[in-house]
Amino acid sequence: MLKITNLHVSVAGKQILNGVNLSVNAGEVHAIMGPNGSGKSTLAQVLAGREDYQVTSGAVIFEGRDLLAMPAEERARAGFFLGFQYPVEIPGVNNVYLLKAALNAKRKSAGLPEVDAYEFLSLIKEKMKFMHMSESFLTRGVNEGFSGGEKKRNEVLQMLVLEPKLAILDETDSGLDIDALKIVSEGVNSLRGPQRATILVTHYQRLLDYIAPDQVHVLGGGRILKSGDKSLALELEKRGYDWLVESAVA
Amino acid sequence: MSAVMTPAMRSFESQWQGRRADALSPWRESAMQRFLALGVPTVHDDSWRYTNMRVLQAQSFRDAGANDSALSAPGDASWLTDQGRIPSILIVNGHPRLSAVAAQIDGFEIRSLRELVATEPSRLSRYLEATSDADQRRWELLNTALFADGLHIEIKRPIDTPLCLVHLTGGAGEGNAAYPRVIISAAPGSRATIIEHHLNAGTDATLCNSFTQAELGAGAQLEHYRVFTGHEDATQFDSLDVVQDRDSSCRQFTIALGGSVLRTTLQSRLGEAGAALDSYSLLVGHGERHVDSVVIATHGAPATRSRQTARSVASGSSRTIFNSKVIVSAGASKSDSQQSCRGILLSPTAEIDSRPQLEIHTDEVKCAHGATTGRLDPEMYFYLLSRGLDRDTAQSLLIFAFVADVLTRISLPAARAAIETALIAQLPNAELLRAFR
Repeated sequence: MLKITNLHVSVAGKQILNGVNLSVNAGEVHAIMGPNGSGKSTLAQVLAGREDYQVTSGAVIFEGRDLLAMPAEERARAGFFLGFQYPVEIPGVNNVYLLKAALNAKRKSAGLPEVDAYEFLSLIKEKMKFMHMSESFLTRGVNEGFSGGEKKRNEVLQMLVLEPKLAILDETDSGLDIDALKIVSEGVNSLRGPQRATILVTHYQRLLDYIAPDQVHVLGGGRILKSGDKSLALELEKRGYDWLVESAVA
Repeated sequence: MSAVMTPAMRSFESQWQGRRADALSPWRESAMQRFLALGVPTVHDDSWRYTNMRVLQAQSFRDAGANDSALSAPGDASWLTDQGRIPSILIVNGHPRLSAVAAQIDGFEIRSLRELVATEPSRLSRYLEATSDADQRRWELLNTALFADGLHIEIKRPIDTPLCLVHLTGGAGEGNAAYPRVIISAAPGSRATIIEHHLNAGTDATLCNSFTQAELGAGAQLEHYRVFTGHEDATQFDSLDVVQDRDSSCRQFTIALGGSVLRTTLQSRLGEAGAALDSYSLLVGHGERHVDSVVIATHGAPATRSRQTARSVASGSSRTIFNSKVIVSAGASKSDSQQSCRGILLSPTAEIDSRPQLEIHTDEVKCAHGATTGRLDPEMYFYLLSRGLDRDTAQSLLIFAFVADVLTRISLPAARAAIETALIAQLPNAELLRAFR
């Protein structure tokens, strides 16, 4: 589904990613872990199409298409979704309007008719219930005045409504209490299936207690230092990152 | 000393000579002589530095009639009356057509100035006295000299029904000039909402020099809207002076959606403790429009509060200016003020100027101000794109969101909806935005 080859990225003249290689197949859940500043968020943002990040070399193929050649909005319509680490507040743009516009943009590009207003509202209410979100959400601006946890839930809600083929969730677990973490995890798990894939970017092993990954990767110094199964996450929890980073430098 | 007699000045003088004497003549005479001596403001006058009067000076104006056949506008000329549900008074070239409806709103006492000049001129003369800053207020002087009629509105008690004044300017041919004058007197403890909608009849060049004065008694609450939707050849100078007594509150909205050259002034004097002003300005530059908006809050007593919020959007080769000032007088300690002006440029040939100023003559005050002008927030933009929205939709939504800071403060739902509709028509991709409502 996704194949990243030798990806190099610089941000404001500074090299952040130094040759990332990663393959994600349909049906899989991957976790990307790593210390602060290792390039995890840069990877997530560049895959979503941030234009001020410069790809200096490498390739990314998503569902047989050259992802890097597609503008951000086209990636979203093709089934790529980024759950932001810091979702932005947009007062004045209603949550529901955004979701409806996003869903319709996707349907339009797939040659489907726009969603019926009544159907849409019942869909969104069902998903909100699943995510334990209050009805007041319907009338508020995008992330406006939301707590950190509410913003993260909103990201997962958007994901549930848009049903992406590939979702990359950038530290969606950070700032969540245990209850919220369970809800968010249930949301992510509900979308698991043979046609979809998920990449979890996280600092902590804790999330992986709720969402079992098929593969775990450690990012350090802008490349993947080590890959393994779920046991790698447990080892990281015990030993930290230093041993990997040091051995990579040596 | 007298000003250069340009065609415009000569035409103002000739209008003056055509006026009949009335009980207010001494005040009018003095205002006119002062105006003739000073002339039309120029860019060398500090408060007029952004608005050049050269084009106006070459024009000639004549008194617009009250009963021109071109003005057979229906009573619902304004789209702000919620399809007639808000009582309205049509004011044609400054001459009110007092309807029975308006006279019947309980709590308002509404009379024409023409009638008051004839019967009780002593009630009006104090509104015509020259102020200490009269030299900077030339158009107000001209209005005082030349207003032929107008309205005196007394708010006697708390009133829930809003009142809409529909100012229609124009007539057959070029150069029609009108001088609407409105005086609002809110009794202590009273409350009301007054909307002034300025629009034009026909499409010929016009000049509207309007002046509204409001006095708020102790504890009075006034919500005042002025909405400008003049045509592309309309020039308007509008002034609103508010004098506020103890614990009074004024919420004022200035919505600029029309005209060729539009200058709006709001001056509030927070004269007694506890008085508060909340002013909201939405300045929309479109085509070649020029909008120059001045807001001055004078804190003349301790524990007074003012808030100035302005949002500008400029497209085409338009220009918008928000020139705001907070003056804290000596002794007005514990004054609290905020000025926030932000603008978004939608074209490389548009211009936005923001000039927040502070003049503080005392200690122990809280005065904050901020001004930014720029493009749409890149983080917000990327967020919307990452959800699959096309670029045009994302941009339009963000522009609309930007002005929401003012729109969401409008407490009349029907007025807000009507203003949004008119606003959207002047934003890029109007049809996309309509789909979102």
